[in-house]
Amino acid sequence: MTSQRNTSRFMVLLLISCLTLSAFSDPDTSFAQTDNRTVLVGIYENPPNVFTSESGKPAGIFIDIIEYIAKMEGWKLRFLSGTWVEGLDRLAKGQIDLMPDIAYTVDHEKIYTFHKVPALSSWFQVYAPKGSKIKTILDLDEKRILVLERSVQQKAFVQLGKGFGLNSTLITVPDYNTMFEMVANGEADAAITNRFNGMMQAKNFGLENTSVVFEPSDLFFAAPKKASGMFLNAIDRQLLNLKKDPQSVYYTSLKKWTSEDIQFELPGWVPVIGLISGVVLIMSLVGSIVLKHRVNARTRELKQINQEMEQRISERTEELAATMEKALAADRIKSAFLATMSHELRTPMNSIIGFTGIMLQGLAGPLNPEQNKQMTMVQNSARHLLALINDVLDISKIEAGQLEFSLTSFDLRLSIENVVKVISPLAQKKGIVLNLDISDNTGTITTDQRRLEQVMLNLLNNAVKFTEKGHVNILCRFKNGHYILSFADMGIGMRPEDLPNLFQPFTQVDTGLSRKHEGTGLGLSISKKILDMMGGSISVESQWGEGSIFTVCIPETTGDLP
Amino acid sequence: MKDTLLIIEDNEQNFYMMRFLLEKNGFTVIGAENGPKGIEMALSQKPSAILLDIQLPEMDGYAVAKELKKHGELADIPIIAVTSYAMVGDREQVLAAGAHGYLEKPIDPETFVADIIQYLPKNR
Repeated sequence: MTSQRNTSRFMVLLLISCLTLSAFSDPDTSFAQTDNRTVLVGIYENPPNVFTSESGKPAGIFIDIIEYIAKMEGWKLRFLSGTWVEGLDRLAKGQIDLMPDIAYTVDHEKIYTFHKVPALSSWFQVYAPKGSKIKTILDLDEKRILVLERSVQQKAFVQLGKGFGLNSTLITVPDYNTMFEMVANGEADAAITNRFNGMMQAKNFGLENTSVVFEPSDLFFAAPKKASGMFLNAIDRQLLNLKKDPQSVYYTSLKKWTSEDIQFELPGWVPVIGLISGVVLIMSLVGSIVLKHRVNARTRELKQINQEMEQRISERTEELAATMEKALAADRIKSAFLATMSHELRTPMNSIIGFTGIMLQGLAGPLNPEQNKQMTMVQNSARHLLALINDVLDISKIEAGQLEFSLTSFDLRLSIENVVKVISPLAQKKGIVLNLDISDNTGTITTDQRRLEQVMLNLLNNAVKFTEKGHVNILCRFKNGHYILSFADMGIGMRPEDLPNLFQPFTQVDTGLSRKHEGTGLGLSISKKILDMMGGSISVESQWGEGSIFTVCIPETTGDLP
Repeated sequence: MKDTLLIIEDNEQNFYMMRFLLEKNGFTVIGAENGPKGIEMALSQKPSAILLDIQLPEMDGYAVAKELKKHGELADIPIIAVTSYAMVGDREQVLAAGAHGYLEKPIDPETFVADIIQYLPKNR
């Protein structure tokens, strides 16, 4: 509603602005002497421009304007009511001095005289009963259209109809009231009126403005041909003054007749939209209140859930910390266990191996051959048990991440020779030749010497162990910051299917009771893990029945442990 | 003159075995089954070398080594740790505690005596 009203106000202001501009552009501003003449003004019913009020007095925008002009010019005004046509006739005959609200046209110019400053600007608009479906000029085809007799609208619409090829019935009526009544009664389909009149009156008859608008025109006071120029100039002069001053009668009148007292006809959709909007708004409000309530409820729920979650998290964190502490404790226990195991197992082993050795050396007295044979078996079993203990402890330490390296820089050649020296007795015993081929660029290596020697010892021991006769070649090369060590034997070799699991714990190709090569089955697994930790690698090539080559690649320097 | 060696060892079998091997090779062996008694014997007997077990009741081998080092008159007596500790860092820790040598159990009866002899002052 409000927006429609504002739009109307805007329209009016726009109109006024246009009028004001045209007023300023009018050069005729000379003042005439006032005279005490009586001016007879024709009145007809064309609200709000000119009409007879309920109290029987003339009223409307034109009346306000002319009353002001008369007051300023010292004129006396008299009014003569009649129909539009009567008024025009009287004016033409000079029976009245002025007819308000006449559009300037070439035809009118022939009969009447006009002042120059337009009093109002208007256009014609088609009004029809509500729901008429008249949307465009073409919708007027085959319709009964009412128009004011001898009005500008009549002529304009005839031309317009021809232009659009309309076949409508144009009915002329003497006044606007008749026009609206006929449309309201269904005697006609639509009425053509000017914008001011339509705005003010049509609604009273249940009619609405269509969007068919045409022929904008300027409206004036018309005077008989014989009217003096002084008289008309006086009107222009006063109109200019009126239009200059925003507080003038002109504007208050416009405001009064178009904004305040007059209900604008709103397009049908406006109240519908308004109603819908209102309902929607109320529903939104109700909805938002309900929603807010729900949101609040949900927020409380979420807060509660959040608190519960926080509590749970804090509980879990504590549990985790406790578990962590337990794990650390378990880890410490494991370390302690390993150390204890190591000690507790070695102490009796020390006695077993020690006394066996003493007896075999004959230090406790001479042994007969059978005693010597059996004590040797005890010694071998004890040594095997010790090897197992050592390897299991190694594996445990590696898997517990407790195998620590003690890094030193040492001469790799010397280290290899040292390992060869340890294995030599075994090789000599089997009649196996150990060929050492160490390249000249072999220098120092930085790693855990004991662990590297453990790996080399394991590989060389295996090579000799599995070779019945022939030789074992030990190669050392230095290339791209890495040492390549290879141990090639002429042993039993391995089948391709045996290779994948070779480096897994407790894997021995020769298993079962029939096996003749003793070993823990952990050596290669430990070697691989140690080399992994050193940033190195181990690989194997083997030919069943011909021998195996184990190749170790190890960086010159073992980096920091992860 | 026979060298006297002190063995501080709580395990009876191990003590017997080491004493057997050393006496067979002409050494005089005295023994103590714990740290305090070992320190007391070291001070009173002034052995040529001390064979020290690390895993001892009450006072462990590290503490015994440190205590022995406090006595100036024992400064020249070599301490040889004979231990079944075989964890990483054990050797370093033992040497840091003041031991001159380190033998890992189980000992090899064939090399044990030779290993001990090399630590004796006259051979160093």
